Amino acid sequence: MIPGGDFHPILFAIVALWVIVCALGVVLSKKIMYSAVAMVFCFLGVAFAYALLHAELLAVMQIMVYVGAISIVVIFAIMLTDEKEGGLELFFNRATIAAGGLALAAAAVVIGAIVADDLEGVVEKTRNPAVKELSRLLFEGYVFPFELISLVLLAALVGAVVLTRKLEGRR
Amino acid sequence: MSALEWWLALAAALFFIGAFGVLARRNVIVVIMSVELMLSGVNLALVATASFRSGTPGGGTLFALFIIALAAAEVAIGIAIVIANYRHRRSVQTDEYSELKG
Repeated sequence: MIPGGDFHPILFAIVALWVIVCALGVVLSKKIMYSAVAMVFCFLGVAFAYALLHAELLAVMQIMVYVGAISIVVIFAIMLTDEKEGGLELFFNRATIAAGGLALAAAAVVIGAIVADDLEGVVEKTRNPAVKELSRLLFEGYVFPFELISLVLLAALVGAVVLTRKLEGRR
Repeated sequence: MSALEWWLALAAALFFIGAFGVLARRNVIVVIMSVELMLSGVNLALVATASFRSGTPGGGTLFALFIIALAAAEVAIGIAIVIANYRHRRSVQTDEYSELKG
């Protein structure tokens, strides 16, 4: 008995393949713009994964924030910095092979731990409307972090403006 | 493997692909994108665990929402730093940033 109820192996396989191929595209593609496009598709895949996990609100937020906002910022940055070569400068030398080995080994350890451990849950399922529960959590238990986030975003906004402002006076 | 383990394995794969990008690439923008991949992996793990362990993804969704909001702030600041540095140094390669004297 799977404690996720409706786990669709085929849908999962599609999403997993999609996400992993796109993530590898981000990391491996020669041009930065291709990386950015792969990132957009990767985040779409993750949004689909959220929807499969019955976190529909999060799927919508994922599309709005990542696919909508963050991608635009990244693509603007790519166009503003105008780097001609973006490619695999470092590929297949010692540093890359070491990094790849390190990432693979760490992934093997974590996935091995996941597989070896018995995660079969004890909690029985009650499918509440997730959004209702989320709003309850958000505005009852976690009001303070929620309000703090707005402060962080404001600070980031001001900080970004300050950082990118031209500093004529100082030079 | 149970369904949750498959989901967590996917999340781990996403996280470590991102980690590889952070370690191996020199272009700062690609590094930022890779960090986003890592954050997405963490989010996926949170949502999957919450969804399978408590029936609804509520709690995991909450933290994932916080992470998404913070990731947006992080990207804004990160890109601002990249552009400020690019003005100064005409490069977005990490090895050009080895001495950040300002």
